[in-house]
Amino acid sequence: MTIKLISGCIGCGTCVASCPTDVLRLDPKTKKAIIKYPADCQICHLCRMYCPVDAITITPDKSIPVIVSWG
Amino acid sequence: MTSLSKDPTLLSRRHFMALAGGIAGMATLSALGVPSGWAANTAKVDVDTVNRKEHTSDVLVIGGGMAGLFATVKAHDAGSKVILVSKGRLGSSGQTPFAKGIFTYDAATAPISLDAFVDKVSRSAMGTNNPVYTRQMAEHSRARVDELRQWGFFDSPLYNTCFSKPIKERNIPVLERIVITHLIKENGHIAGAAGFSMDSEKIQIFRAKSVILCTGAGGFKPNGFPICDLTHDGTIMAYTIGAKVTGKEWNDGHPGQATNAAACFDGWHGMFERKPDTVGVEVHHDLGVDLNYIAYVNGGPVAMGPPGSGNTTSKGGPLTPAEFARPPGGPPPGGGKAPGNGGPPSGKGGGPPGMAGIPVGGSSAGMSIHKSEGLVPINDRCASNIPGLYAAGDALGSYMAGAIYTQIGSSLAGSAVQGAVAGTAAADYCKAVDFQDVSTAKLDDIHQEILAPLQRKAGYSPAWVTQTLQGIMIPNFVLYIKKEKLLQAALAYVEELRDHHMPMLRAADFHELRLAHETANMIISAEMKLKASIMRKESRCSHYRLDYPEMDTTNWQAWINIYKGADGSMQFEKQPFAAWPA
Repeated sequence: MTIKLISGCIGCGTCVASCPTDVLRLDPKTKKAIIKYPADCQICHLCRMYCPVDAITITPDKSIPVIVSWG
Repeated sequence: MTSLSKDPTLLSRRHFMALAGGIAGMATLSALGVPSGWAANTAKVDVDTVNRKEHTSDVLVIGGGMAGLFATVKAHDAGSKVILVSKGRLGSSGQTPFAKGIFTYDAATAPISLDAFVDKVSRSAMGTNNPVYTRQMAEHSRARVDELRQWGFFDSPLYNTCFSKPIKERNIPVLERIVITHLIKENGHIAGAAGFSMDSEKIQIFRAKSVILCTGAGGFKPNGFPICDLTHDGTIMAYTIGAKVTGKEWNDGHPGQATNAAACFDGWHGMFERKPDTVGVEVHHDLGVDLNYIAYVNGGPVAMGPPGSGNTTSKGGPLTPAEFARPPGGPPPGGGKAPGNGGPPSGKGGGPPGMAGIPVGGSSAGMSIHKSEGLVPINDRCASNIPGLYAAGDALGSYMAGAIYTQIGSSLAGSAVQGAVAGTAAADYCKAVDFQDVSTAKLDDIHQEILAPLQRKAGYSPAWVTQTLQGIMIPNFVLYIKKEKLLQAALAYVEELRDHHMPMLRAADFHELRLAHETANMIISAEMKLKASIMRKESRCSHYRLDYPEMDTTNWQAWINIYKGADGSMQFEKQPFAAWPA
């Protein structure tokens, strides 16, 4: 589902700042990035491209039905 | 996450219904991302403890894309104290991060003169462009591109570092992840703006002599275009305080892809990871609603391939001027280069959305052609009808390109050019005016309006209302292939959302509070789109009426302006092409 996994996060917060739709937040306890609002991911990959340690994995599918103009 | 949530298709209908019947079912639905509609609301924030922070500057720039960058730098360089505030991050929100081609007109090497260029754009745009803004974009493009080159724009696919360079050199404050929800007007003049910060969870008040909206355009959070953070915020805020707005009947017609339609990165075939490049003169008539028409008449799938290879043509439909006609279903122009005009896709390498696999419509649903919707300019300096309020880029309805995509890469160039023009104009304006006083009572009212969704004990979730709005607006037979009956039917639904759902949007935290305000803006924009589409009883460029398929040069050599009437109702007026508002 959209942004799927964060592994090897160094807690720099760059992905949180770089996400246009506020999907990611830093966990107040662990100080690492978490996928807090996955439904709002627009699969643009900015978080992955900005991540300095390549910690983010993204898949192209969305778990909710997608509305298009014609099928 | 449970194994069920990893692949919802594994969930049988019987199992789904059983789950949906109980509380466990609701939790599962939520985990699947299916938003619940009406529900109780328990805010995780104590609204009474949310305090206010105030900022003061001569010029407030709202938005951190290409227009916002230049508005900020040029207002500063013209002598103003400037603050830039952004819902996202500088160079990493809105459409700017995905725009890879920037038009530059170099008089020494261009194949045609500036006059000839402007004329050609006007012919492609069938008169819908404002030639003053078309010329300004071309004339200033080279200077803006040279500045971008100095800042390192062409050296990286990611723009934050480059955009930060001139801002840091000038010590200009940049405030990020702040959602602006209100513009403040006093004594007929702009007085500032207000919103909230998602991280510090505070109300943020900005007092300013001048405000420049660089807030981009927007859509209905569609699948396939990276515009889910763009919900016409600037336009609707400005409309609310009396600004005139235009261009709501036009449609961006970029297709998406049938497979994983929401995956815009995949649909754009690596273009997001490419460094930007410049584009020379290449005027087309592209990406209106031709594909939508073919799909409507013939059904899907619409083939993209060589002529005669499939479902590519149809009689009738949107008119393309003969000079700009291409073989139906032929390859994209420019020897395989992306035809994405100006907006996000363009330049070398990598195809535009929908150019591989089976295309589907609606990927940018809710967005007009770049630069053809937004605040109505009253002059060539990006000023709105509210003194002190300016707009630039996709927030300004400049009709720089007209109501169809004309010059490739001109959208990004136009944002840079207009940002610079608006920045300088706003700084000039500030020299002659004082700050407007804003009463505490007014700020208290705004404070309450901002936080209202957090205070509701129950309400509709923004996600559910958005999904409902998408279901009403995005179908091909509503938004793209228009006719009176369906537009009126959709309008009835949208008015219902406006009157009975917008006032009952709920939010449990500041993320949902942002979604609630965005959802409200999308509903008002939908109302504007439907009413403007009903009013324009002709077909031209990216507006196609099945019941009025011809261009009407007797009655419709005009743009539609939308404004709030004295009684609060939505009013419409015609503004003749090539004229400034009265």
